[in-house]
Amino acid sequence: MECTWTGNQNKLPNITGYWKKDGNEIDSRLTVPLENEQYNLKGVFDIVGEESLGNYSCVFGSEAKIEFVLAAPQMGEVRDKPIVSYAGDSVVIACKMEEPKPKPSTWHWYKANGTDKALIDAAAEPHRYQIHSEGGKSTLTVRNLTQADAGFYYCGAVYLISTSLGRLEVRVITFLEPLKPFIAIVVEVLVLVAVILLYERKSKKKSITGSQKTKKEKRENSGGEESSSVRQRKV
Amino acid sequence: MAPAPEAELVVRPLDGGWGWVVVLGAFISIGFSYALPKAITVFFHEIQEEFTISYSDIAWISSIMLAAMYAGGPVSSLLVTTYGSRPVVILGGVMCWVSMVTASFGNSIIHLYICIGVIGGFGLSFNLNASLTIISKYFLAKRPLANGIAMAGSPVFLCLLAPLNQYLLSNFGWRGSFLILGAMLLNCCVAGSLMRPVTPPRNPSKAVSQKKLEEQTDVYGTSLKRNCMKNFRKFLDFSLFKDRGFVIYLIGSLMFFFGAYAPIVFLTAYAVKQGIEEYSAAYLLSIMGFVDMFARPGTGLLANTKWIRPRVQYFLSFAMVFTGSCHLMCSLGTGYVFLVVYTVLFGIGFGMMFGLIFECLMDLMGSQRFPSAVGLVTIIECCPMLLGPPAAGALVDITGDYKYLFIMCGSVILTGGVFLFVMNMYNYHMLDKERAMKEMGQNHEPKDNHDQENGTMMQLKEGQESGILHSPTVRRCLQSIENAFYISGLKW
Repeated sequence: MECTWTGNQNKLPNITGYWKKDGNEIDSRLTVPLENEQYNLKGVFDIVGEESLGNYSCVFGSEAKIEFVLAAPQMGEVRDKPIVSYAGDSVVIACKMEEPKPKPSTWHWYKANGTDKALIDAAAEPHRYQIHSEGGKSTLTVRNLTQADAGFYYCGAVYLISTSLGRLEVRVITFLEPLKPFIAIVVEVLVLVAVILLYERKSKKKSITGSQKTKKEKRENSGGEESSSVRQRKV
Repeated sequence: MAPAPEAELVVRPLDGGWGWVVVLGAFISIGFSYALPKAITVFFHEIQEEFTISYSDIAWISSIMLAAMYAGGPVSSLLVTTYGSRPVVILGGVMCWVSMVTASFGNSIIHLYICIGVIGGFGLSFNLNASLTIISKYFLAKRPLANGIAMAGSPVFLCLLAPLNQYLLSNFGWRGSFLILGAMLLNCCVAGSLMRPVTPPRNPSKAVSQKKLEEQTDVYGTSLKRNCMKNFRKFLDFSLFKDRGFVIYLIGSLMFFFGAYAPIVFLTAYAVKQGIEEYSAAYLLSIMGFVDMFARPGTGLLANTKWIRPRVQYFLSFAMVFTGSCHLMCSLGTGYVFLVVYTVLFGIGFGMMFGLIFECLMDLMGSQRFPSAVGLVTIIECCPMLLGPPAAGALVDITGDYKYLFIMCGSVILTGGVFLFVMNMYNYHMLDKERAMKEMGQNHEPKDNHDQENGTMMQLKEGQESGILHSPTVRRCLQSIENAFYISGLKW
């Protein structure tokens, strides 16, 4: 890693420069000369493993600091909403390390067990788990879901220096759960349709009897004595 | 305009009372019909992951559903003319219910294509066609307003269904959501039960005499053939193509539908490409939907006024010109504020078009011929509607710039609007002429295109005799168009 600083108002001919990792000084302090109006500080570090990753800073005297973050590629879009599936059904969960980030050498899948992560061995239980990994994408298929399969799953993109994790949540519900609102709505529809049709039949009957009554009244008006007795009977 | 011979006249439309309840039923029914194909896209990502298929495979569901919805037009027209609106809407509701419930058990994409795409699409087409028809039966004087309110169901339901679907998805997964959506679609049956059939005056003597005539002239073989031909003609009434107003309307609406949906499909992508962040870009579509919700009934209200109603076809062509110019304007500017202004204007234009589009067809055809007309129109409109977005997409891929999409859509719609305007001037001119000839007591003119169901309509039209549209230059132009048609033998 190389740092270049153009200095401040007092262009001192020499300045002390050193490297820090995660806030702690590493190596010895160097004297950096002023060349072509700038100070150059170069550091060479061997990346041996996960311990080599972290926040590196190069410091010039007590005035300037530049930070580098050394880490494995992180997964971009990991689903934050839970994936819902049904008991007895199967679910497919996927993780992707999108372009142009480098592809991992392999993928591992873990199931959360309290605070621990248990590695999922697809070879050991092929009827339950199936892992399909291809370059930057990996999918885990879990079959014959039970309530115990619900929870957090971690996908790990394995690189030489470290593994990047992504977290997904799986929820398992029984078929009864959506069935309840379904039946409720169907019942509501049947009730409404029945009410509307019954109301219509009633209002039709009313209009028919209404027209019959007016017809009778017409007859009665032209009838005479007979009509009066009919009227009395009606009352 | 229906040639409505006197014997077929039905009861005078109610124009109120129970009619408004029917409008509510149509609102629900039309709302589901238009909103469902779009609202379902919320589930696509999850289904795509479960079935491990590409995005274009799953996008086919929406296309098949829309295609079936429009292609089912003639079938639903036939059912509506035979059985009336109510049973057809109830059947449509049940079909949609069946389609979603069976889809929730699906294990392959083909299963979804058939269940949601075909069965669901046909169910929705029954709903749409029957709802529009019943409005034309219940309303005449207030019909534009009723149409505007009923068509407003589409943006309202879209606004409701989109967040609801998100909620259902995160709580029940896509299978449970389909199950629950199926039950909600059953509410179309409730809407259907509200659509009380309008009982025509009983003419028993006429029906009996007609039957006797048929029985006399038919030997068994020829009667079978004649029934087949009659049924086919009932299915797709090609005689409608002889109607001048119908063909003009059809060409105009084809041009509109070619350019109508592509801007909506690509608006978000265009905004994101300009550097606007995704949430704000998605917000643009919500703005459009919101404006659309109010533009439709507003347009219906305007179209109902005594100044616009008699010449409502001009209002339609104005709406088309407005929408076309809107798209052309969009290609000129950039920036979020500019896009918001464009979206609002587009929402107004879109709402105007959809508030008017079926009203104008009813105005031309009358409530007798409307069911078969709308079936024919929807199945023909299928083609440009499905071709528009992919063609626009191809244009974007070739040129690499979204503005050509807006230029293309805008120019097609603008041309359609101008075409409608000019040809409707000609059409109204010919209609006035034919009516004048008829009033002078000439022979029964079979091509009389007036809506004779209500005398007030005639009075409204008579009030429009003066104005710029009848200046000498315009009259000369119209006369030359008339001569051109006469020479070409088109009999228009």
